[in-house]
Amino acid sequence: MEATADRLAEQKYSFDVVRWFTIMAVVYLVVGATVGVYIASELAWPFLNFDTPYISFGRLRPLHTNAVIFAFGGCVLMGTAFYTVQRTCGVKLWSEKLAWYTFWGWNLVIVLAVLTLPLGLTQSKEYAELEWPIDILIAAVWLAFTFNFIMTIAIRKTSHIYVSNWFFLGMMIMIVYLHVVNSLAIPVGLFKSYSLFSGVQDAMIQWWWGHNAVGFYLTAGFLGIMYYFVPKQANRPVYSYRLSVIHFWALMFGYVWLGAHHLQYTALPDWTGSLGAAVSLAMIIPSWGGAVNGMMTLSGAWDKLRTDYVLRFLIIALAFYAMSTFEGPVMSLKTVNALSHYTDWTIGHVHSGALGWVAGISIGAIYHLMTRLWHTEMWSESLVNVHFWTATIGTVIYVVAMWVSGIMQGLMWRAYDEYGTLAYTFVESVAAMHPYYAMRAVGGGIFLLGAIIMLFNILMTVRKSALQGSLREARGTLTPAAA
Amino acid sequence: MAENNPYPGENNTGHFWDDNLRELTNPPPRWWMIAFWASVAWWVLYAILYPMWPALPGHNVDGKEFTPGILGWTSIKEYKKGVEQVEAVRAQYDKQIAGMTAEQIIQDPGLLQYTLASSKVLFGDHCAACHGSGGQGNPGYPVLADDDWLYGGTLAKITESITNGRKGAMTAHVNILSDAEIDQLANFVAGMSQGGKGSEADWALFNAKGCVACHGPKATGVIAELPNGEIVTVGAANLTDSIWRFRPGGYESAKHTITYGVNQPGVAQTRNAVMPSFAQQGKLEGRLTPEQIKMLTVYVHELGGGK
Amino acid sequence: MSDSNNASNGLQAWLERNIWGLVIALAIVLSVGGIVEIVPLFYLKGTEEATRFPQIVWDKAGKEPIVAVTYEHDAKGKIKRDEAGDPVVVEMKENWVAGDGVRPYTALELAGRDVYQREGCYLCHSQMVRPFRDERERYGHYSLASESMFDHPFQWGSKRTGPDLARVGGKYSDQWQRQHLTNPRSVVPESVMPSYPWLAKREISAKRMQRHMRGLRAIGVPYSDADIEAADGLLAGKTEMDATIAYLQVLGTMAKLEPGVDYRQ
Ligand code: HEC
Ligand code: HEC
Ligand code: HEC
Ligand code: HEM
Ligand code: HEM
Ligand SMILES: [Ca+2]
Ligand SMILES: [Ca+2]
Ligand SMILES: [Cu+2]
Repeated sequence: MEATADRLAEQKYSFDVVRWFTIMAVVYLVVGATVGVYIASELAWPFLNFDTPYISFGRLRPLHTNAVIFAFGGCVLMGTAFYTVQRTCGVKLWSEKLAWYTFWGWNLVIVLAVLTLPLGLTQSKEYAELEWPIDILIAAVWLAFTFNFIMTIAIRKTSHIYVSNWFFLGMMIMIVYLHVVNSLAIPVGLFKSYSLFSGVQDAMIQWWWGHNAVGFYLTAGFLGIMYYFVPKQANRPVYSYRLSVIHFWALMFGYVWLGAHHLQYTALPDWTGSLGAAVSLAMIIPSWGGAVNGMMTLSGAWDKLRTDYVLRFLIIALAFYAMSTFEGPVMSLKTVNALSHYTDWTIGHVHSGALGWVAGISIGAIYHLMTRLWHTEMWSESLVNVHFWTATIGTVIYVVAMWVSGIMQGLMWRAYDEYGTLAYTFVESVAAMHPYYAMRAVGGGIFLLGAIIMLFNILMTVRKSALQGSLREARGTLTPAAA
Repeated sequence: MAENNPYPGENNTGHFWDDNLRELTNPPPRWWMIAFWASVAWWVLYAILYPMWPALPGHNVDGKEFTPGILGWTSIKEYKKGVEQVEAVRAQYDKQIAGMTAEQIIQDPGLLQYTLASSKVLFGDHCAACHGSGGQGNPGYPVLADDDWLYGGTLAKITESITNGRKGAMTAHVNILSDAEIDQLANFVAGMSQGGKGSEADWALFNAKGCVACHGPKATGVIAELPNGEIVTVGAANLTDSIWRFRPGGYESAKHTITYGVNQPGVAQTRNAVMPSFAQQGKLEGRLTPEQIKMLTVYVHELGGGK
Repeated sequence: MSDSNNASNGLQAWLERNIWGLVIALAIVLSVGGIVEIVPLFYLKGTEEATRFPQIVWDKAGKEPIVAVTYEHDAKGKIKRDEAGDPVVVEMKENWVAGDGVRPYTALELAGRDVYQREGCYLCHSQMVRPFRDERERYGHYSLASESMFDHPFQWGSKRTGPDLARVGGKYSDQWQRQHLTNPRSVVPESVMPSYPWLAKREISAKRMQRHMRGLRAIGVPYSDADIEAADGLLAGKTEMDATIAYLQVLGTMAKLEPGVDYRQ
């Protein structure tokens, strides 16, 4: 029955572009994680910078963040958005051409990022490093993506718009705002520009962007994924419609205010930081709305977790999501942020969100897609199992190492001895980080191993599908009329 | 609608997508709704207690540009409280230190212990980058933990070094001396570092070419010794011991220093030897207070080689 | 919500059926927070301390060149150049001294700032001293908003893998900075900072920096024509290493801050 539905879908919808986004997402996960492990190692063993500009930490770090967020995250978002919007609207994409333009345009952006960032061509705004010509290209691709998505919904066959699509749409519109405003700059060369804003105003705009790149791109978008793939994989209804409505609007309205929590105690006026902190704490519950709704969707089907590794990925991702959306608000409290800001604690928080939640939900969704898009079982179920454990263990090692190092760093910086004078020099804190930086590199390495296994497994699955001719068969043998 | 429901008995909303996607009409969990409203209340509460809402253009709130919150909290108030707390702990020592000389601090075991303990980080954050974390020096930066001094190891001289900074100067001799003369002097200096005494010709050259003016008659860096025991130097290195100011030392190194001098503007290969000043510089506040400089003086003095 | 079988009603139900309505509703809801937090920072006078303490900012910025460079001119009135193509400078006169107030960066410092951005120093170093007692002792006076008023973009950073640099100017000698940038572990054995030996090998183009300065002037940084002209002389024979050091050495030395004064409301 499931297989028949997927064959029908194959004939009804445009999935080629989704297939390409899916494969590229996994490729970029491996690339991004490899660079992550490399920069983690540079901090543990600085000789790895090899006195070479192109691989020095300061140039590779933006490559890492761009690779994981925009290359990996972007391909996941675009692939899944194109997939779910068709299936939940019951129509083919409004424009397949525009979708291919989105695919090639986005990959061009990624290639340009890989070329320019190691060359040091950067606007130096975190997660918005790419220079102005690439920014223009990003805008052109993103608008095409958004427009195609909206138009597909506009021509839908279903009466209502499914909840996944609300979240995708919120993300798309917000990213348009953020990208356009934060990228305003005066070009002074083909690959050099200066932000239009300066000082405090620039800082606030940057972190309005920075937080919402997290809040919308890495959260709202992935909640859209969650709302499609969790009920599908579990074959259960979404637990509470009303919960979706309330937490959706609360997130859309509330998340936007959070940027100021990145700037507490800085030269911004006091009101801005407090405002960011207040709304941050108020965001635990709206965030948990998604986690609760996802997890409760499994009610009555918990036993599936014992056998279904894809579902396991999805559910552990929700657990990490709940954890990091609790941690984040706690870090926004003035007293906690005074300690955690500038330390590795932030990095730990980032990666519990990024590895646990973003990567977790994506990996789950991708495994789900593999069998539906290539119409065959995974080449190896047990490798999916191995991947699950490497991803989980790697993430936990990474995050724990950074919690310990971050809190230690924060405490060492502010520690006073019994005479009322500082107890540690800065360099002592640097030296104390070494074991944790090494531990993080190991944890990251384990996570990377899992990602490589995944890439291998999906490539073998594609191959298997090609050998069996399953995709061709799904495309041709069964016509909708016959069903 | 219920009749069309393909999932009989299920409380779904009656909307279906992609065959089997549907939503239940369950209300949100009770605890969640309570916590949700509590979150809204939290925001309101926070806005009452803390600064929060910016004023509209051209308006003020109680003379401020934002609602100040009834707690009267500001980051600067919190800062001042924190500073007061540590200063209260230090006050008993600081008051005494302010009224004492470095000599007196060394005489007082309690204060000495305080000074050494609290200067460790001061030294580590401000000085160690050049002089090494234990004063062991770095290539180009003098050792502070031995008893070889450029400017003198007395408390007064050390204070002077930290307060004003130092910038030793030595003429570049590239256009003043012939290659042979430079060679001879370099050999002379290198020899002395290994116990040699130098020939009469060496000493003659040393005196004739003006080295003596800075390095002193015995080439020990000491130009004169005052009756009260104080020494006069211009910061020139002692050329008779085995300690080298510029590493690695030896013939080549000495030759380089003689040829290009020290801190000579316009000489590309000149030795650099600049110690920044830590007291007020021009209009800018000093990086260290006079008390901190006093404490560091004691600390450096006690590192090993203080005189 | 009275009808349990039809949980969606009213506006929500309408939005779920009207994509354009949903788009517009989202566009409105998503804009509120940003507007409230960002727009006031442009119009509230108290945001910049310079409103209350005008002496923080150099009052001659844009009126007098920061460094006045006088060139030798040939018969045609063009700047004379030596074989290396560098301009022949008659005199360099500094009109600004440390503590005179916040001013735009000179051509050399700006070139250093470009390098700072390019090498990603901001990913390990903050330039924002918070008002905490420990930061005061380690780094100095807390940073002011007006101190970064000419920073396009700001460089406050979000991570301190290395120490804060907001007030590093004058803390070390140029030579130390050079040694440290060339190989940090030669002076600080525990350091995890990368080495930047290549900076000493690259020269800076004055033309390019003049273009950068004109760009900044277009968005409000007060550079005078003389400031831009001075680039030629200031950059002659300078490497990226020199520029980076010049930038580091000016950090935190612009404004003279009095210890007892509360600069923030
Ligand atoms: C930028 C590097 C640098 C820093 C930072 C630095 N010094 Fe120095 N220091 C030097 C150099 C170079 C000399 C030698 C100057 C000369 O040769 O004229 C020196 C000389 C000295 C001397 C004189 C040594 C003698 O033999 O007479 C003392 C004492 C001293 N420093 C103490 C300190 C203390 C204490 C601190 C921290 C508060 C400090 N230095 C920070 C570079 C530095
Ligand atoms: C104007 C003063 C002056 C004159 C003249 C002078 N020196 Fe020096 N010399 C110094 C100073 C100051 C230093 C130490 C620099 C420092 O540590 O900052 C020095 C250092 C040296 C060193 C390096 C020692 C080491 O340990 O690395 C040598 C070698 C030396 N001088 C040799 C000579 C000779 C030979 C002459 C004469 C041809 C001479 N100097 C003339 C001031 C002078
Ligand atoms: C991988 C992280 C990293 C990067 C990238 C980095 N640094 Fe550092 N930096 C450090 C660490 C750690 C220290 C403290 C140890 C030391 O002094 O080397 C430091 C110290 C410094 C100091 C001394 C500050 C003080 O007060 O003692 C300066 C100046 C500095 N870095 C400048 C730079 C510049 C300029 C760049 C870019 C060209 C840069 N750093 C890039 C990690 C980094
Ligand atoms: C193998 C896995 C990974 C490793 C080893 C790794 C390692 C690192 C390291 C070392 C840093 C720099 C931290 C610092 O400056 O101290 C970093 C930053 C970052 N990484 Fe990763 N990473 C991995 C995977 C990911 C993934 C999958 C994502 C996102 C989906 C991600 C998102 C980020 C972000 C956003 C930052 C910047 C954090 C900040 O600026 O505060 N990383 N990572
Ligand atoms: C309600 C939810 C959340 C809140 C309130 C929150 C709060 C915070 C806070 C306070 C910081 C540190 C800011 C600083 O001190 O510099 C931070 C950093 C960060 N968070 Fe979250 N967080 C939340 C959820 C998430 C999630 C789900 C992710 C997913 C990936 C995430 C990714 C990040 C990243 C990438 C940073 C680093 C930003 C930087 O470069 O400095 N956050 N967050
Ligand atoms: Ca950009
Ligand atoms: Ca960051
Ligand atoms: Cu945030």
